[in-house]
Amino acid sequence: MPAVQETIERVRKIDVDQYKYGFETKIEMDKAPKGLSEDIIRFISAKKNEPDWMLEWRLGAYRRWLTLDEPTWARVDYPKIDFQDIHYYAAPKSTPGPTSLDEVDPELLKTYAKLGIPLKEQEILAGVQKPANDDGLDEANDNGAAPRRVAVDAVFDSVSVVTTFKEELAKAGVIFCSISEAIREHPELVKKYLGTVVPTTDNFYATLNSAVFTDGSFVFVPKGVRCPMELSTYFRINEKNTGQFERTLIIAEEGAYVSYLEGCTAPQRDENQLHAAVVELIALDDAEIKYSTVQNWYPGDAQGKGGIYNFVTKRGDCRGDRSKISWTQVETGSAITWKYPSCILRGDDSQGEFYSIAVSNGYQQVDSGTKMIHLGKNTRSRIISKGIAAGFSQNTYRGQVSAHRKATNARNFTNCDSLLIGDQCGAHTVPYMEAKNATAKFEHEATTSKISEDQKFYVMQRGVPEEEAIALIVNGFVKEVIQELPMEFAVEAQKLIGISLEGSVG
Amino acid sequence: MNIHAVPQLTPAETALVDAFGERLSLLPGDGAVMVKRDDAIEQVKTGLPTKRVESWHYTDLRRLLTSVPAFDETAKAEAVAPVLEGSAVFSVLNGRSSEKTAKVEGVTVTRVADKLTDGSFAPALEPRGSDDAVGALNTAFVADGYFLDIAEGVELSQPIELQNVQAGGQTHVRLPVRVGNGAKAVIVERQTGTGDAFVSSVANVTVGDGAELTWLIVQEQPDAAATHLGQFNAWIGKDAKLVVFVMNAGGKLVRQEINVAAKGEGSTFTLRGINLLAGDTHTDVTMVLDHAVPHTESTEVIRNVVTGKARGVFQGRINVHQYAQKTDAKMACNTLLLSDDGEFSTKPELEIFADDVQCGHGATVTEIDRNHLFYLMARGIEEKTARGLLVKAFVAEVIEELEDEAIVDALEGRLDKWFAEHG
Repeated sequence: MPAVQETIERVRKIDVDQYKYGFETKIEMDKAPKGLSEDIIRFISAKKNEPDWMLEWRLGAYRRWLTLDEPTWARVDYPKIDFQDIHYYAAPKSTPGPTSLDEVDPELLKTYAKLGIPLKEQEILAGVQKPANDDGLDEANDNGAAPRRVAVDAVFDSVSVVTTFKEELAKAGVIFCSISEAIREHPELVKKYLGTVVPTTDNFYATLNSAVFTDGSFVFVPKGVRCPMELSTYFRINEKNTGQFERTLIIAEEGAYVSYLEGCTAPQRDENQLHAAVVELIALDDAEIKYSTVQNWYPGDAQGKGGIYNFVTKRGDCRGDRSKISWTQVETGSAITWKYPSCILRGDDSQGEFYSIAVSNGYQQVDSGTKMIHLGKNTRSRIISKGIAAGFSQNTYRGQVSAHRKATNARNFTNCDSLLIGDQCGAHTVPYMEAKNATAKFEHEATTSKISEDQKFYVMQRGVPEEEAIALIVNGFVKEVIQELPMEFAVEAQKLIGISLEGSVG
Repeated sequence: MNIHAVPQLTPAETALVDAFGERLSLLPGDGAVMVKRDDAIEQVKTGLPTKRVESWHYTDLRRLLTSVPAFDETAKAEAVAPVLEGSAVFSVLNGRSSEKTAKVEGVTVTRVADKLTDGSFAPALEPRGSDDAVGALNTAFVADGYFLDIAEGVELSQPIELQNVQAGGQTHVRLPVRVGNGAKAVIVERQTGTGDAFVSSVANVTVGDGAELTWLIVQEQPDAAATHLGQFNAWIGKDAKLVVFVMNAGGKLVRQEINVAAKGEGSTFTLRGINLLAGDTHTDVTMVLDHAVPHTESTEVIRNVVTGKARGVFQGRINVHQYAQKTDAKMACNTLLLSDDGEFSTKPELEIFADDVQCGHGATVTEIDRNHLFYLMARGIEEKTARGLLVKAFVAEVIEELEDEAIVDALEGRLDKWFAEHG
């Protein structure tokens, strides 16, 4: 069954030529010369006032990187990247560590205002209705929670411009700052955890990132603390011919909880730009980390010119018993996406989740999915992936679920659906399942015939036409992904996913 | 794929390359056939595929193939009773076809050795690609087999069994079959033997327009040492039906490839497979299915039982080409993993370029359902028997779908034999 009109319209609205964030900020930049060498790495490290051990760490990664070959196994196709033709460092000139918003370049503030990112410590985010809060009878907050607030770390090209709500977070014991600051202020924590989930030797792009990463966020939630607000980082690539290499490290100690959101955009340009990030999550005993992404890098124009190459390594380590890591992603941007947020379920009874919606349009190429590596006992994982391909795009789900010999009672449920709109695009599913344990229980399904006749009949006999009935049921199913998103992102994502999935194929 | 410069050949690779040098003068065919053989051995010399080659991801042939037995001219293999009663049997014993074969009306039988000798077989000798190690090895060494040509409109009244029986040593056979338009046939491909055999077998099958073919692969090589590399390639015509059943119940190292192209509109393809895995063995079933034209259907169900230290693999890829609208393709792979030392890996891929299609796949790996076990035990059946019943039912379900009573009975007989031997 082909896609219905409504779905097609919704996807068109987010087509590549509708990109809203393509403007450029005119601001004076401080840049490293083009190219990559040990000197450039020393330059970056010096710019960041890093300690020697960090520089050595970077140089070690760089030497390793020189011995590696670019991976070619993904189903993406692009001209060879000239790694010497990129600026590895670019920062707005006028921000030598501003202490308050007043010191931040107004151009930058304007940029973030345009993007709808609240740098002022305001309580309510754009897109979310202020709850009707007259006389304390607040339905939205009937659980007694404070109004939702979000702390933001804004990263502009290579540097973090500002981090909000820092003081309030500090009161709760939560450290939320840029990774450069963490390296200077909390070296013992960085040393202890950096590179323990994604080692410098992990893969070509992660190794490159380890050598040249410039900024990113650092979150540390101490034992027993439930982070009092959502944390968020907003990544913006602005400068021409630069690569953005951010590094994020999130640690939740025993019993801690944190929800973290990430958003990203870039100006419209004819050249491709490289973004190679590494995100490491560490959850100790009973801790929970929820990581959500709305990825909206510039996808290139309707002819496939320009756009971001998004080569990202994201991995969470459920190191402690009963820990939980959950990845939720809505992917609509980038010319090429190569991204597999994964969970290593090391602790006994730990849980991993991956919820993904990937929409590709124009000439976009998406090769994304997850890995769930079951090592501990009684570990559980769940994968829900929805891919929607339109235009001339290629959309691939690539995932791996494996149960180690000692991972008794490992459980996995995987469901990945894709939808094709038009006959010039492609949808692909490449799941790898590896069971080395008799008590492992894996289920993988990729089908749409899951809507039972009974369900459909139930809705239709109440006077709903068949197509709407199907849409209703399917939307209820997509909800599984949407409801995993924090409210602030759900608003944005909902625009993308009113999309019904009739006519889906595995 | 495996074009990396291989610095040093493994002992098994060296044995193969040396064997080629020694056998060269004995292999039938010259000229064009020889050119194909030379090209194929050059491909082998670049190294057998490793897990870095995607189509061999879970079967690192280079690592797993540790030794290759020499050709053994003195070995004696005897023809075996056919799987289906009343079959016309064509046996290849120790790599040699027989001059005196059964006669089946409407079927022209030619020995592959003759077709190699007169050079008419040269065009068919071609590996499927740089990752086709089975095709390359077979092309280099193929010496015999049978070519069956089933005339247009002929409905065979008896099944045909193509037997490949090997008592140790090496053998490389081809079993090409052409099923004429509107013809109907049931063919059993029997792979069995004794000792530490090394066998490659390639069957290229064309199913004509409106024809119906049921092809049963019954592979029962000895667990202890035999290596079996099988390849079944089929092209299905308009409104034609192909049913392939694969049963792997033996072999130390087994790779069975099934490559099917649905070339004609209205064609249907059905694959049913059971892998009964025991001991310290490795069994890989890899299927690639191309839906190349609109309005074709396929269903694939693979059931696996893994015991002992056995390792099982199922890779299935369904390609739906851009113009293959209205394709209906479904694939399922279910595994009962009964041992902590066993493992099963599966990769069910979909590659889809058409928007108006129905495709799905499901894969499960699990142990025996406790509720089912409880149900039987609550009725006084002891655990061991109850488990046996459930495991057998799990695979027998797939056999029963074949409908033809004689086939179902015969295959269940093979199943019972395996369960009797493996507890």
